[in-house]
Amino acid sequence: MKYLSALLLINLFFFSSWLNAEGQNIPPARDKYQLLTMPYNQRQLTLYRGQLQAKAGYKFAVRAQSFNADGDLVYLKNNGTGSVYHYYFINLRYGLTNFIEMGAETNFLRRGIREATITVVSTTLTSTDRVTVNKLTESKGHGDIFLYTTVRLPIRYKWFDFGATGGLFLPSAKYEPQKPANTITSASLSSADTYTINLHYNNTNGYGVPVYLVSAVSKCSFRKFSAEAEWAMRTPMKEGKNIRWEETLTEKAFSYYDESYSYLLSNIYTFDVSLHYQATGWFNINLNGSFFRTKGGWTEYWGNKYENPEKRLINLEPGFELQISPSLTIYQVAGFPLSGKNSDAPFYVFTTVSFNMFPFMR
Amino acid sequence: MKRIIIIYLLLLLTSSAFSQTEKLLVPSDLKQQTIITEPVTLHKGFFRAGLLLNYRVADRYFDSSGVKQYYRNSTWGSKSAYGITLQYGITDRLQVDLISEFMNTLQETQNTEIDPGTNTTVVTVDKQRGIGLGDSHLALKYQIIAEKERKFSLSGRLKATFPTGAKNPRNIKSENQYDLPVGDGTYALGLNLSARIITYPYSFSGYLTYTYNFTGEKIFITVDQIEKQFKLGNLFETGLSWNIHLNEWIVLGNEVNFYDEGEGQIEKAPSTLIPASWALSYEPSLIFQVYRFRLGESVKIPVLGKNVPADPLFVLMAQYIF
Repeated sequence: MKYLSALLLINLFFFSSWLNAEGQNIPPARDKYQLLTMPYNQRQLTLYRGQLQAKAGYKFAVRAQSFNADGDLVYLKNNGTGSVYHYYFINLRYGLTNFIEMGAETNFLRRGIREATITVVSTTLTSTDRVTVNKLTESKGHGDIFLYTTVRLPIRYKWFDFGATGGLFLPSAKYEPQKPANTITSASLSSADTYTINLHYNNTNGYGVPVYLVSAVSKCSFRKFSAEAEWAMRTPMKEGKNIRWEETLTEKAFSYYDESYSYLLSNIYTFDVSLHYQATGWFNINLNGSFFRTKGGWTEYWGNKYENPEKRLINLEPGFELQISPSLTIYQVAGFPLSGKNSDAPFYVFTTVSFNMFPFMR
Repeated sequence: MKRIIIIYLLLLLTSSAFSQTEKLLVPSDLKQQTIITEPVTLHKGFFRAGLLLNYRVADRYFDSSGVKQYYRNSTWGSKSAYGITLQYGITDRLQVDLISEFMNTLQETQNTEIDPGTNTTVVTVDKQRGIGLGDSHLALKYQIIAEKERKFSLSGRLKATFPTGAKNPRNIKSENQYDLPVGDGTYALGLNLSARIITYPYSFSGYLTYTYNFTGEKIFITVDQIEKQFKLGNLFETGLSWNIHLNEWIVLGNEVNFYDEGEGQIEKAPSTLIPASWALSYEPSLIFQVYRFRLGESVKIPVLGKNVPADPLFVLMAQYIF
């Protein structure tokens, strides 16, 4: 009897642990999983309070064409001067409140631009000598660190949002070009005057001076559709100083010296408009139109200041946003140049992975 | 006592019974398995068709010293391959593959020649294009050690290559003006051994492949247009891969691949036209399983190498299982 009662008590204990107590349950306004999985059409422009986002991206661009000063398309691949462009970036953002966020960003790029090969022929009665000149301008290195703050309307996002960003590119990158790595290779064993000169210039990445950025963005949603428009401007804080390498070729040996010059960066204006469709909670497709323009600025050559040529480019960018898990999202866009002026016109694919979390929220 | 027993029995009646259950997999479920959960060969009677797009440009290369260099002269090249794969499960352990591809290669070079003596400038633009059906492959894959839960599988694959692509330059107008060949022009036989283990949500695999290239004949110099006997170097390939399910239908794949190709021969003598080469590459990929559709994209990044392109190879893949 005693044992049976004990058995019963043990059973009751386990049964009670299986019972779910149902009562009045007031769910929290939004838990972190809801916030992390918020679809684009319901998401505000800045991060949520306490949200940390780390992004890493890679852009692969094929520079097979460019727009000249008249806005005509020049097919670079036809004269063998096409090239590719590798661009990597990392971005870290943190939501201080539901309407203020801070962020930092930097990048790394690598590209090599070839110019058309030129051969100079020298014909005498006894021989024909050829000097071929190849020119490659390589740009490689880390970009400046960009620090910024974004504020948005202090209301809960329903169908309209507006935000503004202010930031500064700190001139943290090595911006002075490195010494050229020119070489000479003999193309003919029979003639000492037939050879190839390979000019190889080594540029870096970075503005060299602090650059301000201001931008304004607005977004509105209607059911599964959303539209977003962003205007941004970059302007230098001051004039900068840089060096330019010059070379002298004597007896098939190069000697180099550098000359200092001053410059003022051009202002850069961008305007993006995107239309989004939220196909499901985890998949958003979009079509973005991007306008880029530079204006002003100058560069010093031989003591004279020459105005920088104005550049323009309009791109069309279809893309998508795919939520893989609450913390992981992938973005991908492909860029197609439509028109421009004094600008490269690359086709590109830009892939970004975003990791999101609330480090201080249970 | 009696009352206690009645109460106890009543409690037992209201209790839920938990036991081990087994989910029954129906054929439609089997056709929706991801690259991690599916077996290494197709189930008997299953048929899968796939399209593959490879794209690479010629911007940099690993030279004969293994140093990464830009192509210095003004030249631009790109290579696209549109592959089609047909796979069929003859039994649950034996699969047959038929693979072919449509090639589109382009190479453009410009040279400006200035002669100050005669005050003339000659701009020469060479555009070489190769479009057409490439080589085809027939493969048989067999599960030597069938996959079991928490145990690895071992499979063997025998692949025969048929030179269905045009092996010679066509439409030759001059030394540098012609249509590029789109095929290797030689038969080849390859044997692959691969092992895989699944520890959900991960899978790990490794493989070894050796491909023997038979001798063939083709034109190497467009001026004389004489077909010469040649033999490509044999190919050894090995790789390790580990895949992870990011969610139930998206897989992140990672592969490290190494290949070594011996020096080729022309007229039974080593030739600089077919140098020995090797490459170590890393290939991350994302594969989406949407019901019976499988979509994937990957980038093969050459990390180290010798006499090989150093540009990334982009791959897009779409498959459907019938």
